[in-house]
Formats: sequence, structure tokens, C-alpha cells
Amino acid sequence: MSDHSHSPQPHATHAPVTRPGETTEIHETVPHAHATAAPAAHAAGHGGDHGGEHAHGGIGTYLMVFLALCVLTTMSFFTYSSAWPWRDQPQVGWAFMMAVSCTKAMLVVLFFMHVLWEANWKYVLTIPAAMMAVFLALMLVPDVGMRTRMVAQERALYMPRQSDVRLMERAAEAGNAERGGEAH
Amino acid sequence: MSAPALSLPHGDGHDHAHGHDDGHGHHGHVTLQYQPGLPLSRGKLIMWLFLSTEIMFFAALLGSYVVLRFGSPVWPLPHHVHLSEPIGAFNTFVLICSSVTIVLALEAARADKAPQAKLWMLLTLLLGTLFLGVKAYEYSAKFSHGIYPWSPRSRVFEKPDLYYGSAVRARLGEPAIIDKLKELDDTPADKLTSEQVAARGRLQQIRKMVTNPDQQPFDLAVIADQVMPLPSAGSHGHSSGLNDAFPWLRLPAVIPGGNMWASTYFLLTGFHAIHVGVGLLVFAILLGYRLDHARAGMIENAGLYWHFVDLVWIFLFPLLYLF
Repeated sequence: MSDHSHSPQPHATHAPVTRPGETTEIHETVPHAHATAAPAAHAAGHGGDHGGEHAHGGIGTYLMVFLALCVLTTMSFFTYSSAWPWRDQPQVGWAFMMAVSCTKAMLVVLFFMHVLWEANWKYVLTIPAAMMAVFLALMLVPDVGMRTRMVAQERALYMPRQSDVRLMERAAEAGNAERGGEAH
Repeated sequence: MSAPALSLPHGDGHDHAHGHDDGHGHHGHVTLQYQPGLPLSRGKLIMWLFLSTEIMFFAALLGSYVVLRFGSPVWPLPHHVHLSEPIGAFNTFVLICSSVTIVLALEAARADKAPQAKLWMLLTLLLGTLFLGVKAYEYSAKFSHGIYPWSPRSRVFEKPDLYYGSAVRARLGEPAIIDKLKELDDTPADKLTSEQVAARGRLQQIRKMVTNPDQQPFDLAVIADQVMPLPSAGSHGHSSGLNDAFPWLRLPAVIPGGNMWASTYFLLTGFHAIHVGVGLLVFAILLGYRLDHARAGMIENAGLYWHFVDLVWIFLFPLLYLF
């Protein structure tokens, strides 16, 4: 390709910015040879800049992750099928689906977003955000989640209740019987 | 242990600074060096900072959904609000595929295979568009059942009470509907399906009940059930009501908890769809470039964003469709 002659240039300027934190063990083992060795590596083979990540990734890994994601999606979809054994206990399905979703999220973050192969900066950015996210959700519980525990009588009058669903179900049963009667 | 780790970036930065400062600072021996706070390129750092704000953004949305969902006295089943689980699962699959294609685009770009990278990128764009298309279809299905996120258009009532009854009466009293109903009454039975003939009979009964003030007391829940039945928890099918038999009728329907559900559903999926749209815009812009090794950083950042969008959907799908 015609780009081969240009390729060392972007690496030459780019490399010092990315290299220091890529992996610490490189600095420990070959502190000074590194600066000269890196451009040579770039010239020899493309993708040397991200060589560390490249070696870990690879199409085979991504396809395996893709397959795992498909299987996991099918697993959570399985709770919808009539073969799911805990249809009368929705909590079991919810816990199962959340476990499956968290597994899927970890797969995407670790492999597709390359977090598995990143240096320790990943914790600096993700852990505080995750903590804030959890606090944010927890702080909604008293105000929003428990807002219907104690409400004015007037409000309770206009609030939908489980009894309204039962009312509808009873009407549906009666209606179905009637419609069934029409058909016969 | 720490000495070599410290000295290398320093030495590197020094070389780097010389390269840049050649034009300006010949006389000064003090050279300013750029030392990144976190060891990654600025574009990637900014993308990750942005993503950490996005984590909090969607955590707030998803958190409020969960808290509202479990704090509400009644919440509709997916079938009550005409959600189709297979469609949701299909969209999940589409997004997972697009996550793989964008990763493959990045791999191809890193290997300097520009045409291949462009092909994967194009495929990602198409898959994302497919996702939005399916989403638009789902939205239109909600709208056709009178489920809107705002009140003047929404035909959802929370319970079969007097407000509901008067809304049905008001709808049946609209001049346009009166004309349509007359037309329906005059239509010979052989021009209607058998289902429509049965529905017409039930509709006539309801009209008598609702519009005649001297009527016997009647059950509003029965009317609500005739208009749009709530499928029971076990059934997967869609039971057909008057609104399905005559789409122009658009009678108010009762879905207990349906309005809160609609608010959260449209907010969550709407914000997610906006994110998908932004991602598609980025892919469309990137497709204008030659996606070789020099662009790998851009593709990586776009990919990080896209994976995050996929991540949000991974949680949205079970929470909205299967809970």
C-alpha cells in the first residue's frame, strides 16, 4: 500500500504519549532500549503501537465473546418461554436475568472495550463513576420508590391498584365465557 | 523499581519536547514538558471521561425506572402494553452483532486493511440503522394502541372508573365518530369479517349502555375489557378488542399503571435511541475517511462509545421486556 512510507511519522509523534503507561513491566525490564526499539517494531509490522493489546485480542477471541453473548441473550430470553420452571415466582427470573445481564456487560467491557488489557487508569475512571451511579440510584429509593407508602386518601382514590387489574381480569373471564358461548 | 519507571517517561517527554520546541525556545534551557496525567491518548481519555458521565446518566434513568417499577402499587405486564419480547431479543442480537463488526473494523484498521475496515464500519452503520428501524416499528405499534408518553394523545386510563366512562362517552359522541358509526351500522354483514360482525354487535351494546342515561347500572371494567383486553399473565397471544377490530375507533383503554410505564419506557428507549443515532452519525462521518492505521484511534473511540450504547441496551432489554 502507498501508506507504508508515511506510517513511521504518526508513530514517532504518537508513541511517547501512549507508551509510558502501556505496561509497567516494560519500563522495568528494558528502560532505555525501549525508545529506540519501538520505532523499529513499527517499521517491521503495523499495529506495533498497540502491540500489547493486539496480541491479547484477535478475531478468535471476539468471535468467542460474540457466541457467549448470543448464548447469554438466549438464556435470558428463556425466562419468557413456557419451559421456564419459575413462572409463578418472578423474582427468580429477575435475579437470573440481572446475573446474565451483568455477565454480558462484563464481557463487552472487558473484551470489546479492551478494558481487560488496559493499564490501571481504568480503575481511576470507572470505579468513581460506578460508585456515583450506585449512590444516585439508592438516593431515589426514599423519595420516589416509597412515595406511595403513605399518600393522602384523595390520592389513593385515584391511584391504580392491583384490584383494578383483578377487576379487568374478572371482566375478561366473563367476556371470554360470553364470546365462547357465542361461538358454540 | 520506581526509578526506571519514572525516568523513561521523563526521557521520552524530553525528546518529545525538543522535537516541538525547535522553532521557539533556542535560548532557554528550561523546557516545558507535556506529561499526561493518565497514560493514554487525549482522545481516548476524553472518551472515557465522557463515558463515565454517561454511566451516571443512564444509571439515573435506569435507577429511577427500577425504583418506580418496584415502588408502584401496580405495574403493567409486558403484554398489557403490547411489548413483543421476540422483537426485543432480535434488537439485542442486532446490537451485539454491530458491536462485533465495529471491533473487527478496528482490528482491520490496526492491520492497515483500510477497505476491509470500511466494510465492517458500513456493516455497523447498517446494523445500527436496522436497530433504529425496529425501534421505530415498535414505537408505532405503541402509538397505534393509544400509548403515548404525553397526555393529550395518550388514550391510556389507569382504572375503569367514572373518568374512564365519561371519556368513552365523549369519544363516542364526537361528530366524526358518530358518522363513522352510522356508516358501520349500515354496512352489510357480508362486507365485514365475522370477527368484525361480532365486534360490531358488542360495540352497539356499549353505545347503548354509555349514551343512554336511563340505562341499568353497568360494569365499566367490562367496557374496558371489550375495548382493549388485558392478556393474562400466562398467555403470550394478543387478544383482540374493539380498537383492534376498528382501528379508527380509538376508544380510551384501561391499562393499570400504563401511564407511568409509558413515561419510563419512552424516556429510556428514547434516550438510548438518541445515543444510537449519534453513533450512526459518527460512523457516517468516519466512512468518509480512509480507515487505515492512522485512523485506528478514531475508530477505537467511536467503538468505545458504540459498545457503551450496546451495554445500556443489555440492561434495558431484560428490564423493559422481561421484568
